Amino acid sequence: MAQIPLGVKTHAQKVCSLYKRALRNLEAYYDRRHVYRYQAVLLRERFDKHAKETNMIKANEFLKEGEEELFLKQHPIPKYFATSPGGVAHERVVTPPDWVLDYWHPLEKAQYPEYFKKREQRKKEFVAMWEKEYGKPDEKDKHH
Amino acid sequence: MLKNNNLICFNSFFFLFFFMLINFFFFVYFIMNGLSVFFEWEIISFNSMSIVMSILLDWMSLLFMMFVSLISSVVIFYSKSYMNSELNLNRFIILVLMFVFSMVLLIISPNLISILLGWDGLGLISYCLVIYYQNLKSYNAGMLTALSNRIGDVMILMVICWVMNYGSWNYIFYFDFMKNDYVMFIISFMIIIAAMTKSAQIPFSSWLPAAMAAPTPVSALVHSSTLVTAGVYLLIRFNYLLIDMFFFKVLLFLSILTMFMSGISANYEFDLKKIIALSTLSQLGLMMSILSLGFPDIAFFHLLTHAMFKALLFMCAGVIIHMMNDIQDVRYMGGLSLYIPLTSLCLNISNLSLCGIPFLSGFYSKDLILEMVSFNSFNLMVFILFYLSTGLTVFYTFRLIMYVMINDFNLMMIYNLYDEDYIMLNSMFVLLFMSLLSGSFLSWFIFSYPYMIYLPFNLKLMVIYVSILGSILGFMVSNMGIYSLNKLLLSYNLSSFLCLMWFMPNLSTYGLSYIYLNFSQILFKNIDMGWSEIYSGKGIFNILKNYSVFYNIYQMNNFKIYLFSFILWFMILFIFFFI
Repeated sequence: MAQIPLGVKTHAQKVCSLYKRALRNLEAYYDRRHVYRYQAVLLRERFDKHAKETNMIKANEFLKEGEEELFLKQHPIPKYFATSPGGVAHERVVTPPDWVLDYWHPLEKAQYPEYFKKREQRKKEFVAMWEKEYGKPDEKDKHH
Repeated sequence: MLKNNNLICFNSFFFLFFFMLINFFFFVYFIMNGLSVFFEWEIISFNSMSIVMSILLDWMSLLFMMFVSLISSVVIFYSKSYMNSELNLNRFIILVLMFVFSMVLLIISPNLISILLGWDGLGLISYCLVIYYQNLKSYNAGMLTALSNRIGDVMILMVICWVMNYGSWNYIFYFDFMKNDYVMFIISFMIIIAAMTKSAQIPFSSWLPAAMAAPTPVSALVHSSTLVTAGVYLLIRFNYLLIDMFFFKVLLFLSILTMFMSGISANYEFDLKKIIALSTLSQLGLMMSILSLGFPDIAFFHLLTHAMFKALLFMCAGVIIHMMNDIQDVRYMGGLSLYIPLTSLCLNISNLSLCGIPFLSGFYSKDLILEMVSFNSFNLMVFILFYLSTGLTVFYTFRLIMYVMINDFNLMMIYNLYDEDYIMLNSMFVLLFMSLLSGSFLSWFIFSYPYMIYLPFNLKLMVIYVSILGSILGFMVSNMGIYSLNKLLLSYNLSSFLCLMWFMPNLSTYGLSYIYLNFSQILFKNIDMGWSEIYSGKGIFNILKNYSVFYNIYQMNNFKIYLFSFILWFMILFIFFFI
């Protein structure tokens, strides 16, 4: 196959995703909280009307119409949180991964002797804690 | 690490402040005595060619340098507190200092080569400053900024080539001789395009709102008062040459459209810094349009007063953003004036100055511009768009004030809101003082006699009418109670068009590069990964591999082939010997 699907979403998940995106869209249009709350209640009522639908064909049609409506009514400037993807401050401060510390020069490591004394021990304890919670890794996963 | 930050910030602040004082004293001396000084250093003189470095100091360049050094000193002082958590503050301050140096070089140069040095320096350093934060948005914004400015750089380079016709790059000396030449036609076109790219007029206006991905001190210094005014300054210097050219009328048309378009877009925009950026764009359009109508001194006046209150506005926005944990969206804010009284004082005064409220600094320049437009008989469209844009300025200003300051408290949870950071406040108060007084101070200095303007009563008050209308609309738009999405959707297409800057950023980014990228994808798939793989890369490898597989059959001692070759050899011997 050309593209293997990474996962299959259930119908409930799709509907919940549509609902959440529609709510965020409403939040972009109505910035006063009490106004937004009123509109959110109206939206919830629209979703609840078809919530108990058992005919999957109709349910899929409602979902498709809902997605179409959301696309046509999306706000041109959505409201993002600053540090989330799409926001202004996303990825401004990047934490280096932990293994970078292993590559430090010995003179640099000598500036923090207490920390580096305990580092190997800390690594072993971390691995032990991980394996206690999640079990040992599969042998097949180690080789590409 | 912290001590280094203190040192570099304070040192540069004191140096620039002292430089500002020197410039101020010399400016007063020069303008009172009508002096204009050339410094020339001969670098090389060989036979008949001589390379000379020259500096022009007249009242205009000294005044502009004073303003640039004041704003940059205040911004560096401000960024000591604003960028406190940055590990790379040294790099930031050094970039800002290099920027100021490039700007000063641009201001004092009477010849095109040093203008090019300053101009290119401005473009490159503003790129480095915009990508300072190094996330995806900043990289894209920096690319947009750098490439738009690069077009202007190319234009200046071509002007240098064409001006070589006159034998020297000191355009200052040749004003009288260059006026009616054919070559001036081409030079004027290119100079105007260069100024339009730097000052973000209509075909090149997409970079200014995008460049708000830079840190706020950078926006306060670069994108409000120095970089974007470099284009206006260049045209003010060249104004004597360009005044009768046809392209000035094109510039008038485009700058008025810029003024109008950005005024409308600012009304629909929800990012705090983008609103202020679009406001800057609108005022730049105003400066360019009054320049192209033939009043360079008024354009210069507005340039200076605008620098003051716009830098102050950006700094207030920076305090608010800091307070809200990096949120720049105005829909998250409301009722902040109770918590940040001093900052909201600065914000209000700079906003009112922007609107042209009587006797603040913006009033002197803006009102003079509008009265000159009404007094001289221009086009009806020019008149309407000028006053409409003034009204739009008041409209988005009041909308901003309502959203940020006056509406009900709108934050998601109770933040600890305060503005006690005295470093930031002190730097803002310096600009507040200048923003209140610079209008009157400059009008007394620059205009030795006032312009005599006679207007009918209602036309004189037209500004006030338009401002009142704009403020009422601004109040109404941001104070709407319960309203339904359906009414907003009736004008969805129109409001999308107006809020996304008439889709011009999309046109100048996707629109220009899509066809080339598409074509290059076709080329890449068919040639790079297609035919040239067959005929050089993988293909030759396959041929060689197939040959070696083929030979392997012999080398593997295949018995059938061994017998067959034995029989063949036997037959050859038989034929050779017996026939």
